Amino acid sequence: MTPVIELRGVNRTFIKDRKPIPVLQDINLGIEENEIICLVGESGCGKTTTGKIISGLLQPSSGEMLFRGRPISSYDRKEQAVIRRQLQLVHQDPFASLNPAHTIGDILGFPLKRHRMVDGISGVRRRIWELLTMVDLTPPGDIVNKYPHQLSGGQRQRVSIARSLTVNPKLIVADEAVSMVDVSIRISLLKMLHELRERLGLTIVFITHDLALAKYFAWEGRIAVMYLGRIVEIGRTQDVIASPAHPYTRALLAAVPEADPDLTRHKQVLRLRSDDIPSLSDIPPGCAFHPRCPFHVPGLCDGVVPALGDGPGFSQQVACLPLQQGIPLVVNQTSTQNAGQHV
Amino acid sequence: MIGLDTVATPVGLLIGIVCGLIPLAAGIHYKQYRAGIAGFIACALTGFGCGLIGGLPMIVLTYAVVLSYAYVNRQDPFTSRAALTEVDFSETRVESIQRVLANIGTGIRRSFRALTRNKAGFLGFLGIAFFILVTTFGPLFIPYEGEAQMDRRQPGSRVLVAPPSWEHPLGLDWKGRDVLSHMVHGGQRLIITSIQAGLIATALAVVLGSAAGLLGGPIDTVISAVANFILTIPGFPLLIVLAAVVDFDSDFMLAVLFGVLNWPTLMRAVRAQVLSLRERDYVQAAFVLDLGLWHIISREVFPNMVSYITVNLIFTIRIAMYSIVGLTFLGMVPLRDPDWAVMIFTGRQQGVIFLPQAAGMLLSPIIAIALFQLSLVLFARSLEEIFNPRLRSGV
Ligand SMILES: Nc1ncnc2c1ncn2[C@@H]1O[C@H](COP(=O)(O)OP(=O)(O)OP(=O)(O)O)[C@@H](O)[C@H]1O
Ligand SMILES: [Mg+2]
Repeated sequence: MTPVIELRGVNRTFIKDRKPIPVLQDINLGIEENEIICLVGESGCGKTTTGKIISGLLQPSSGEMLFRGRPISSYDRKEQAVIRRQLQLVHQDPFASLNPAHTIGDILGFPLKRHRMVDGISGVRRRIWELLTMVDLTPPGDIVNKYPHQLSGGQRQRVSIARSLTVNPKLIVADEAVSMVDVSIRISLLKMLHELRERLGLTIVFITHDLALAKYFAWEGRIAVMYLGRIVEIGRTQDVIASPAHPYTRALLAAVPEADPDLTRHKQVLRLRSDDIPSLSDIPPGCAFHPRCPFHVPGLCDGVVPALGDGPGFSQQVACLPLQQGIPLVVNQTSTQNAGQHV
Repeated sequence: MIGLDTVATPVGLLIGIVCGLIPLAAGIHYKQYRAGIAGFIACALTGFGCGLIGGLPMIVLTYAVVLSYAYVNRQDPFTSRAALTEVDFSETRVESIQRVLANIGTGIRRSFRALTRNKAGFLGFLGIAFFILVTTFGPLFIPYEGEAQMDRRQPGSRVLVAPPSWEHPLGLDWKGRDVLSHMVHGGQRLIITSIQAGLIATALAVVLGSAAGLLGGPIDTVISAVANFILTIPGFPLLIVLAAVVDFDSDFMLAVLFGVLNWPTLMRAVRAQVLSLRERDYVQAAFVLDLGLWHIISREVFPNMVSYITVNLIFTIRIAMYSIVGLTFLGMVPLRDPDWAVMIFTGRQQGVIFLPQAAGMLLSPIIAIALFQLSLVLFARSLEEIFNPRLRSGV
């Protein structure tokens, strides 16, 4: 099946202090219809930038984005506008993503009216109610005339989601969409996203830095682990969680706290050689992770940049040369400078 | 230009009364008598003062307010507590127009309540209203004395100027004319020209600032360069020089000149605000929803600057008034009686400035200008409450 969205060799650089900073490098990612795909990685690895490129807020510096197998630029202007509308974004901060000057009814009404999603004023009002009901803000009549500042963070996030649904999107990028709401509300928000996906046939790109959350939300879907602007591992969530391949993924997983103290005690401790994330303006040669990697193979890992590929014994794809070549990962004792650091 | 510069006329009164019948009739129809009568008075007054330009918009506003009272108890399905399956949103065209009007009316009432909540601001509003009412309707009751009144010379006095008395509450000026009549007839031009000047400066600042902030690139560079250039020239001295060169046939030209020289400061503030607002998540969401550039400027960015802009407008009007008074005091603009600033100018020119009897003639315009300025400053305080939904919707 052709993916809804495909990123092909996407690079993105920003200019900072007159120097180009490669924030995304050679991103290749196909997103299937109705799937859940999680982007995880440490702060600054380019998750948001990827999300913005998918939702059309940013253009790739090079490479291209395909919609149903055809480059976006090959569609005519009208089609491009429709496509852009079908790719929506839900922001992280529910306090910044709704305009304080408008009521909830207005906020949902603007896109409905602008794109004539429904007929007439009464149609718009009915649709606003439908949307609010859909995101579990009931009774809708209590919400429509409120201003964002009169709602709680969780309620605002639901409004944000409802707003993205006004234009009947195919795909929603949820950028840390639950990380700023109360933990008790997170689960219900995530459940709601799941239900919406099933009901409306949505594709969800879920961005988070929290692997535990990714595991919970995208259990039926896929995970793409990003490191310094590249995807280093991608595969079905169940595979990635059960047998993580890339040393970086292993380190991330090792850092996830478990509720069960026994599990935590017996968990394999992974010592990184360094905790410092290298700067984007000074990305290490070869595999960008090798200066931190406890398993790195001198002469192999610091040479060429590994591409995503199959590794024997793994069903996911991984960008790690030793794994791809079947070299067993052993802790490279000699070069452990930063021993004792627990990630 | 903005419709206030018409003196009250009988035709205006007629227009006002006819306009006022509409909210009055609506008030009777909906049994909202107080609102109806208040609407009638508001329409009559604005029609009286400004004719059709004032009366027609006032019909809409007052009718909306009357409707908003009438609709308090009528349940709008949109805000009912029912479930989706139980409500019927269909309505006729008339019903939907009435609903929109009632919403506007509620907004007006909320703004008014926000206005009265801040005591200082409300005082300022009353002050401004007082001066506008006096200068618009005062001329109906107090005839203008343009000619010198030689016969009013006090026995034994060498000058005509006189301190306040029962007949002339503010005294007589250097030609023996009633100061009160000059006060009543001579304020409107100054107020209108100042407001025009403030509006022009603010409009230029908002348009250029938004353009520079949103479009960026060479447009931004050019606008900012011009702004910086104007900022480096000392404003008032330049105004004096220009006033000497340019021949003002109309006050409007003076307002334009002021506007052209005074937009840069506010422009830079607007540009900075637009730049920061542009990065807000909700503006980005509007881009992703493809709501269009015009929507983004007018509905997403502008409402969040409007209180800042109006407060600045008020202060620009203040500065404009001082500048015009200053220019007149220096005699740099054509002098025309009656005018508050001209009263000060002639007072100085005729040398009566040193006479104690001239206190009425000199202090009246000075105090009036100072009070008007004070009202403006106080009123600016209320604007924040009116435009900020956080403060307004507490009603
Ligand atoms: N507009 C921009 N101009 C310059 N640099 C930028 C810009 N946007 C992002 N960056 C840089 O790109 C890098 C990646 O940013 P991005 O927001 O994509 O990271 P992220 O993975 O979402 O991180 P986080 O978890 O903190 O949200 C960061 O180093 C950031 O400083
Ligand atoms: Mg981010």
